[in-house]
Amino acid sequence: MSMRTPITLLAATSLTLTAGVASAFEPSESVEFIAPANPGGGWDTLVRTSSRVIQEEGLADEEFAPINTPGGGGAVAWSQIAKREGDAHTLFATSPPIILVPLTESSRYDHNDFTPIARLSTDYATVLVADDSDYEDINDLLDAMEEDPGLSVGGGSAPGSMDHIAMAGLADAAGLDASSVNYVPFSGGGDAMTNLMGGHVEAVVTGAGEAVGQIEDDDSDVRALGVSSSDRLGGSLGDVATFEEQGVDYTFDIWRGVMGPPDMPEDAVTYYQDLFKEMLETDRWAEERDKLGWIDAYQGSEEFGEFLDSQADEFSGILGELGLLDEES
Amino acid sequence: MDALNNLMYGFGIALSPMNIVYVFCGVFAGTIIGMLPGLGPISAIALMIPITFSMDPSSGLILMAGVYYGAVFGGSTSSILLNAPGISGTVATSFDGYPMARKGLAGKALAIAAYSSFIGGTLSVIGLMLVAPLLSKVAISFGPAEYFALMVLGLTAVVSLSDKSLIKGLISGVVGIMVSLVGIDHQTSTERFTFGSAHLLDGIDFLVVALGIFALAEVFYMLLRGGGGKEQPRSAIGSLKLSRSETRQILPVAGRSSILGFFTGVLPGAGATIGSFLGYSMEKRLAKDGDTFGQGNIKGVAAPESANNAACTGSFVPLLTLGVPGSGTTAVLLGALLVMGITPGPAMLEDRPDVFWGVIASMYLGNIFLLVLNLPLIPLIAKILELPRALLLSLILIFCMIGVYGLAFSIYDLLLLLAFGLLGLGMRLFGFPAAPMILALILGGIMEQSMRRALQISGGDWMVFIEQPISLTLLIIAVLSVAGPLVRKAVKGAQARQAG
Repeated sequence: MSMRTPITLLAATSLTLTAGVASAFEPSESVEFIAPANPGGGWDTLVRTSSRVIQEEGLADEEFAPINTPGGGGAVAWSQIAKREGDAHTLFATSPPIILVPLTESSRYDHNDFTPIARLSTDYATVLVADDSDYEDINDLLDAMEEDPGLSVGGGSAPGSMDHIAMAGLADAAGLDASSVNYVPFSGGGDAMTNLMGGHVEAVVTGAGEAVGQIEDDDSDVRALGVSSSDRLGGSLGDVATFEEQGVDYTFDIWRGVMGPPDMPEDAVTYYQDLFKEMLETDRWAEERDKLGWIDAYQGSEEFGEFLDSQADEFSGILGELGLLDEES
Repeated sequence: MDALNNLMYGFGIALSPMNIVYVFCGVFAGTIIGMLPGLGPISAIALMIPITFSMDPSSGLILMAGVYYGAVFGGSTSSILLNAPGISGTVATSFDGYPMARKGLAGKALAIAAYSSFIGGTLSVIGLMLVAPLLSKVAISFGPAEYFALMVLGLTAVVSLSDKSLIKGLISGVVGIMVSLVGIDHQTSTERFTFGSAHLLDGIDFLVVALGIFALAEVFYMLLRGGGGKEQPRSAIGSLKLSRSETRQILPVAGRSSILGFFTGVLPGAGATIGSFLGYSMEKRLAKDGDTFGQGNIKGVAAPESANNAACTGSFVPLLTLGVPGSGTTAVLLGALLVMGITPGPAMLEDRPDVFWGVIASMYLGNIFLLVLNLPLIPLIAKILELPRALLLSLILIFCMIGVYGLAFSIYDLLLLLAFGLLGLGMRLFGFPAAPMILALILGGIMEQSMRRALQISGGDWMVFIEQPISLTLLIIAVLSVAGPLVRKAVKGAQARQAG
């Protein structure tokens, strides 16, 4: 009998502890973590990497199940998630397209329809030219673009999406007409890169994380003219000057974060934002993040929501100048 | 003999006991994945990334590459047995493979596919080993104008794929191009022919159309014709053995198509598909018995099968030497390598020769495994044809539906599949060939986008297609390959009239 006492005591203590935080939310079933795209892309990587870190570090009792729902640049997944009002067991990965796609195409849902949970990390845009190009810095390229509006700048995504906005915003900040950029959309970052190496386009705009591999080779065929961050980046991109350093007052964030269905209960939002904050502090995440070339940029639910609104204002301004704003939205 | 030394070094890595296991697991999983439509190598490799995470990078790539070429190797099975191509690179295999199976020669068709895949795979690894760095220059010399010309050349295969009526073949091709237009236009972000449906935003997947107009249409056709439900036990699978004269016929075909496939595979884009179609129509023109292509000619199986496997290996050239992916699958592979801390590119050969040469050596091994693994499996898999017809037809139906549903878990796709099945049945009843439609669907999208990109870069100047030597050459070959048969036909007609 005497053996039982401590166990009973322990059980009682843990019971009190649980009772103490009874109001707090905890997932009661596995959490569907949706990547609104096919396997392999940025959203998919975010979903899989964070699910894995949460699992391996034992940050949550329930499983985080990565799910791919591709289609319409995200629109198919968004329309499904928008129907799960108040659901506390669905999350999805998000980045600038949640703002850009609704502005340019007819996705019925935009960031206002969902619950912001947390911004996790960010990447920046960079402009690349062939190694033997005459352009030494970003101003050389911008001057040439002013002189010859036909100068082709390639990117890996459709007009009005991330790469195009990054380049048009840069041109705008430098005093050029944003719509004068001859942006050539390729079917992906890799496709754009081969066309740059082959001399078919003059420059390419892409994510810095994506470009690291190409730039760090000494005998590489391409070099970067600048990055859209406000401070220089680390690692092999350390030599690349920011646009601000070169006299163009312009920054552009390719942020990544997590959102939930409309009207997610407040205690669930609090739970998830804290969970992701905890995840960002683990060594395991740091390891994965460095491999992917991402930079931590945490914001909690409220702050992230305000950030999204300001991004929406900025993007619709640029899209308006480009004449790409969808009239219906 | 630098290459030989390097290869020996590579074998040193590939032949370590663990890596042999990885090669085997990779190609085995790949074969199975290839046999099931809808479960493509892309998702399989993406799902493997976490597994390879803690592995040595060369082992990880050996495993994932094995899945990729294993899937292409096994992809021919459903094309031959069920007329249900699972990936676009194996569509051309069904043209003669399925008629062979219907004649009771399924075993032989599968064996030829296996041998040709082996030849294509092995010859192209030799190519990869010897000329990869040189070829990377060729890969980047292809800009939008060159791609447009290459797609035009690919489309000329419509002529040789239209068996009886060229007009009907062309109509079928135009319908294919029209289907390729559905979805968001990548150049302007405008929706085209989506009728406001979110399901059509990404266009209509190749698999939906292929399974609809080939497999489902075949099921409908058999139902229409079958009527009373008489059970005709199908003839046996037939022998796997090839006669000496058959071997002699196939070897040059496989050799030529491997070379063609390898070079088209090096070009980023739809390498395996274009390679297999070009290989097929090239052999059809070269063969003395070209008019029996489409009715179960063994060369019609050998050509696309060696070409698509060679193209698969070829697609590693831009990945390993430039660090740029040439296809969806190699894009996922690139992502996996980056996560493992390896940056493919010009410096990889010097920094990580173990990865580069280890993978190349493992491909020789993998192809041998695939052959040894596939040959004994053939009689087992081909047994599916001995099922009673009612069962077989239901099986094909389920097979197609699972494949299509697996694309995006959407009921909408199943309805589309049904619609294309009915369209395919109609085409069949009225004598419209299905092959030109599927070819045009696959190539049409790239052709249009390349043309518009080229014009956007040139500022709207059409001369861009003629000024570039590569583009001009390809266009001339395209014109010749269309005009040639027409002129020959006209001359024959004139002779016949004179004689008569």
